[in-house]
Amino acid sequence: MAGVSRFACVLVAHFAAAAVERCEPALREQPLAVLTQTANIKILVDANAAARERDVRSGMTETEAAARCPTLVTRSHIEEHVAAARHALLEAALAVSPRIEDGGAGIVYVDTAGLERLIGDPEAIGRRLVHQARTVGLVARAGVAGSRTAARVAAASASVPVTVVAPGRERAALAGVPLGVLDLDPPLAATLARWGVRTLGEMAALPREGVTIRLGPAGLRAHDQALGRDHEPFRPWTPPPFWEEAQGLEWEIESLEVLTVVLETVLTRLCGRLGAAALAADVLDIRLGLASGGHHARVVSLAYPMSEVKPMLALVGLDLEAHPPPAPVTRVAVSAHPIRAQMGQGGLWQPPVPAIRDLVSVLARLAALVGTDSLGSPTLVDSHRPDAFAMLAFSPPTEPDAPARGDVEPRLALRRMRPARRVDVAVVGERPARVDAQHVVACAGPWRASGEWWDTEAWARDEWDVALGDGALCRLARDRLTGHWYLDGLYD
Amino acid sequence: MERVVAARGEITEIVGRPSSGRTSLLVACLRDVAQSGETAALVDTEETFDPASAAQAGVDLRRLLWVRCGGRRDVALRAVDMLVRCPGFALVALDLGELVVRLPATLAFRLKFAVRRADVALLIVGRRRLTGASATLAIETRSQAIEWAGPGPAPTRLARVRTTTAVLRARHAPPAESPSRWWRA
Repeated sequence: MAGVSRFACVLVAHFAAAAVERCEPALREQPLAVLTQTANIKILVDANAAARERDVRSGMTETEAAARCPTLVTRSHIEEHVAAARHALLEAALAVSPRIEDGGAGIVYVDTAGLERLIGDPEAIGRRLVHQARTVGLVARAGVAGSRTAARVAAASASVPVTVVAPGRERAALAGVPLGVLDLDPPLAATLARWGVRTLGEMAALPREGVTIRLGPAGLRAHDQALGRDHEPFRPWTPPPFWEEAQGLEWEIESLEVLTVVLETVLTRLCGRLGAAALAADVLDIRLGLASGGHHARVVSLAYPMSEVKPMLALVGLDLEAHPPPAPVTRVAVSAHPIRAQMGQGGLWQPPVPAIRDLVSVLARLAALVGTDSLGSPTLVDSHRPDAFAMLAFSPPTEPDAPARGDVEPRLALRRMRPARRVDVAVVGERPARVDAQHVVACAGPWRASGEWWDTEAWARDEWDVALGDGALCRLARDRLTGHWYLDGLYD
Repeated sequence: MERVVAARGEITEIVGRPSSGRTSLLVACLRDVAQSGETAALVDTEETFDPASAAQAGVDLRRLLWVRCGGRRDVALRAVDMLVRCPGFALVALDLGELVVRLPATLAFRLKFAVRRADVALLIVGRRRLTGASATLAIETRSQAIEWAGPGPAPTRLARVRTTTAVLRARHAPPAESPSRWWRA
């Protein structure tokens, strides 16, 4: 590919602040500082662009920063926010190219080889990367160049979203960039400053042997970077089996309604990541940090792969309603198992069935109402024991059945008594003559049945169909092991 | 009869005394829905549904969602309220058994509009009428005759039962007369 640079770098400046903005998008327009507590003092870890315009810098104390910018909004540094944002950026890049490298917090290198046939020229690839980053809530810049270092420097030093360095022009393109973009060790940066080296071009112009002798491996590495050369091999990044989004809270949540609002925020971010990578989740792992110091963990199976917030939130909410956390919640973390869902289409002649997303939601609500054991499709068990059935999860077949074999003769249905009701039966000539207070008009039987005599659950009974004086047609059973009579059910 | 009783977008009530054929008619409706490849839901207030006799009647149990309410009337009504709002079910049946319940008129109208919107048939089986003017069709089943069989003078087998239906309310044209029907045991 003669005309296409091979690497792109996606860079999110001031990443700790960007991670907070991702959790609270409303803070984007305000000066924001991220603080960490050290001893008795709060130190600025990072600040967004609006705060930096007001001379707020990392390393300041909270008081100093507030003095420079009275409207400064502060948030605590939460490691989970940064980790989640870092993974989100990696996954966004992964949706563009299968070969990416984790370059640290807020930096992702992308191998663009072959992408021009899919996406277009390097400018288009850069725009796609920036767009993907935006879908996961991060404002990024992209640089495209012949090496990762050149691409990173191009992205870091530019003021436009996408910068493309022409092939073979790396050194010239980087020459005017200040040395500060390389993030050199302070002693090395101080030495170079004493030498009067202020730009990458001046650094690249230094004799290589002399730099090696005087500055050692760190100097040689800086020299390579100034020339736009990569020092280390490309290390492809593989996504972890679970994707996690977390939200630390500065207050305790006691009600499920408020917890649902926080969960919606977390799930929105998670679904944004899934959607950006064209993936879906089939299992959610909810982990709630409690004020008591413990954890409340729930695993919510989604029944079908989904990446929509609304049904996920409904299922998680119903699960937490059935199994509420035992103490106030101080932290919310949601992990998703991402899978690639294959889209399906119903048959043209297939009768309409409930949409899976509607069905899953209504089944979850019904399960919360009546219990999971009381919900599903009945299936007959291979047994002669009366009323032998099992409940299966409701999953109607998607394939249409074979055509019916003509009209089936209408059959009489039985209404079962559960449990069978014990009745007093008067017997005349070995046939029932009276059931409780009702006299028997007619009866048929007995039908003898027994089973499991080889086990402790042995049963043996005589069944009678009995018409009573009040018009009821019922099935009676005499337990031959105990001699008791039971009303099994009513024909209706 | 089953097609008229399980009309989509309408509420139908089947009332009658025990052993009058209410449940057999309900099971016949479930069988028709399953045979056409559609799905049905049965909200069983008193948990009296018998899967074995339904399977004998030709119901494809895989296409039936059975909700057992343990005798709790309010739970059954809430379950029906949820199910009629889920588009895609051809039939939602509420079996109230022998419970005599009162349904607030507002809830009956809500059900009526939900049923119409989701284009689902709501079939209510019970001892007495429940939904008043919201039902499009209300029929009463009555037992007529019982036929016994056996080789000797004393019958050994229940052969079949004949029932009949009477229309109590029909907003549209009443169904074609079906004075009596035999149900094989």
